[in-house]
Amino acid sequence: MKQTHIDDVRPESAPPRRAGRPGLTNAALGAAGLAGFLVLCEAVPRLGIVSEDYFPPLSRIADALVTELADQAFWTALGDTLTGWALGLAIAVTAGILAGVVIAVVPFLREATASTIEFLRPIPSVALIPLAVLLYGTELRSVLMLVVYASFWQILIQVLYGVQDVDPVAEETARSYGLGTWARVRHVLWPTALPYVMTGVRLAAAVALILAVTAELVIGAPGLGARIMIAQTSQAVPEMYALVVVTGLLGLLINVGARTVERRALAWHQSVRGEVAV
Amino acid sequence: MSGGVRGGGVKRLALRLLFAVALPVLLVAAWWFASAGSTDVYWPPLRTILTTFPDVWTAERLRDDVLPSLLRLLAGYVSAAVVGIALGTVIGSYRRVRAVCEPVLEFLRAVPPPVLVPVIMLFAGIGHTMKIAVIASGCVWPILLNTVEGVRAVDSVMSETARSYGITGAARLRHVVLRSASPQIFAGLRQALSIGIILMVISEMSASSNGLGFTIVQFQRTFAIPDMWTGILVLGLLGFLLSVVFQLVERRVLGWYHGLRASSRRS
Amino acid sequence: MDGLLSVSGLRKVYEGSGRRVEAIRDLTFTVDAGELVCLVGPSGCGKTTLLKCMAGLLTPTSGEVLLEGRPVSGPPPGMAVVFQEYGRSLFPWMRVRENVELPLKQKPLTKERRRELVADALDSVGLGDAAGAYPWQLSGGMQQRVAIARALAYEPDVLLMDEPFAAVDAQTRADLEDLVRGLWRDRGITILFVTHDIDEAVYLGERVLVLSASPTVVQEQLKVDLPAERDQLRTRVAPRFAELRTHVYEQIQAAKRGVAGA
Repeated sequence: MKQTHIDDVRPESAPPRRAGRPGLTNAALGAAGLAGFLVLCEAVPRLGIVSEDYFPPLSRIADALVTELADQAFWTALGDTLTGWALGLAIAVTAGILAGVVIAVVPFLREATASTIEFLRPIPSVALIPLAVLLYGTELRSVLMLVVYASFWQILIQVLYGVQDVDPVAEETARSYGLGTWARVRHVLWPTALPYVMTGVRLAAAVALILAVTAELVIGAPGLGARIMIAQTSQAVPEMYALVVVTGLLGLLINVGARTVERRALAWHQSVRGEVAV
Repeated sequence: MSGGVRGGGVKRLALRLLFAVALPVLLVAAWWFASAGSTDVYWPPLRTILTTFPDVWTAERLRDDVLPSLLRLLAGYVSAAVVGIALGTVIGSYRRVRAVCEPVLEFLRAVPPPVLVPVIMLFAGIGHTMKIAVIASGCVWPILLNTVEGVRAVDSVMSETARSYGITGAARLRHVVLRSASPQIFAGLRQALSIGIILMVISEMSASSNGLGFTIVQFQRTFAIPDMWTGILVLGLLGFLLSVVFQLVERRVLGWYHGLRASSRRS
Repeated sequence: MDGLLSVSGLRKVYEGSGRRVEAIRDLTFTVDAGELVCLVGPSGCGKTTLLKCMAGLLTPTSGEVLLEGRPVSGPPPGMAVVFQEYGRSLFPWMRVRENVELPLKQKPLTKERRRELVADALDSVGLGDAAGAYPWQLSGGMQQRVAIARALAYEPDVLLMDEPFAAVDAQTRADLEDLVRGLWRDRGITILFVTHDIDEAVYLGERVLVLSASPTVVQEQLKVDLPAERDQLRTRVAPRFAELRTHVYEQIQAAKRGVAGA
């Protein structure tokens, strides 16, 4: 998303970069911000600005979290959520890449599917909730249906973007050297599309978690979402917040993890390099 | 049509139209025939679904269920956009503020928005306020974080140009910072739109007496299966239409950006 | 010694994490009203730092810059800058006309007067027809013309140009050089032109300031005694032109070696 499209000529006497220090101060400032946020979460209910019934002080949420962590049922729920997430994501990634490559390789398909993809993609996956309930009830398959539908498009679209980005010169060179379809996919198309695919996986990983939790909350499929709903209906407010924090941490872990994988896998790729350097 | 687009032009246009229509028609036909003799309760014939459609989605229902849903979505989305862009601009403009806020924002963004439904139900009950608050508080993060990124990345030469010509304060914000960040802001608005639709539906499924999500779940619970299918179609159509509207707006506002990208790709 | 723009004892030191870089040591010179002065120096000699200090975009460590006798502490209203990176200095979301007009909106001008200034500036760089285009629809040379038009419309006392033609091809560059000469003669504006190209400095300037390598001082000031009417073909092959460029070239070589001006 950079707008620098002419040679990025640095001024000859650019001030020397203050290496080291900003990173350290940034970390310190970030820690201060986090600490401030935590203090706020404790103080706001204690001072009665918000009722403790709705928003218990942080210390009580932390207590509830500790109790949760000691509970076997919590770990089962976490496992259920992660299973739905991982399985759904894996299916979506595989299907998305396969479909994307097939569509990309056959030019006829690319044109023929464009309108259908444009129509199906924005359909909210939550529209499938009633169908999932009827067909599978609270089984894992309900979760998978939502997760796969939502994340599949993220991957497919990115694969198609990536394929569009293939340098026509490289493609023609490969053709002129008599490379077959499969060899062209492997050596020209795939390396070009890879950064896009990785972006797709990162986006899909976040979407998959959202839909996994949605399915559990709304349909009642076992997992953290269902546990949150139960805590809410039984007025176990601190427990509910503790579980919300857990889903947040899970999301954070997934985001950070996906970004790390993306960077590792593409250390050689310019777009990522640029991003890291800035 | 201009004189130049005749013969080959018309043919090309017709071919493109054919390509655009062929597969959807094929898919609908496949659905039609595959389901034609269906006796499976859950998979009624498409014919039945389509004949049920006008009976279910009457003008009254559109007014009582679809309109409230859309208004709540609009209210939540617009407030998220206003808050997200305003806060994002402030945070993105100051390096220190950004450093302080970053870890907290990263965490808040990572919380899956649907868990906000039970949380906000505690505060706001199950009325309009709850649903609007849920939609707003779920949509705000992608807008906020993308605005921060966009504002932070304003090109140094552009910002020096603005400074050297005395373009400061509100003029700088309006003509330089926000415009330069607009592609990123729109990326955030797009993500927020799909989150908003999800939250609109599930907040109504969880606790409501009207709205699209409520109606569809009602059909499912009462085993009015063809009605439920029409509901799924309506939701799908709504998602599609909202995305078309979004694209139209985006194309208008970001026309320059797409042109710029296309021209730098050519060179 | 007090010209329109005067720089005295200017010094700029960058500091950071235990490292100190002295970009400019001690610069003193003046530019009189209506002059066209070229600043030339070896690459890495702090030309851009100097320009930013003069434009009020950077605060010098010591010394001062005076514009019409008043010290420059922020971007002064009587100054316009043309940057090297035209692609990043024009706003891609605005059409050419809007790009030129935007700075004028900060001035107390009527709408009619603004329109007049924009049209006049675009005409004088030969882009009267391109007002409705977006900058990225134009070639690099035309984009830099837009940037020049924007500076002209601003009606500055001093026009600062920071290696404006370093990123355009040779043919376009020659055209743009003649454009700058022409504008200077027709409009009588004061121009300070920074470049690393010796030929360009001698061809354009009435006076050339040769800077030393960083930490920068003025190595030499040189009057260019070429006829006012200059021509890409004849001027560049004139014996006097060759002498001058040889002289400047030697000075810059000396500057790189760190020898004081001869």
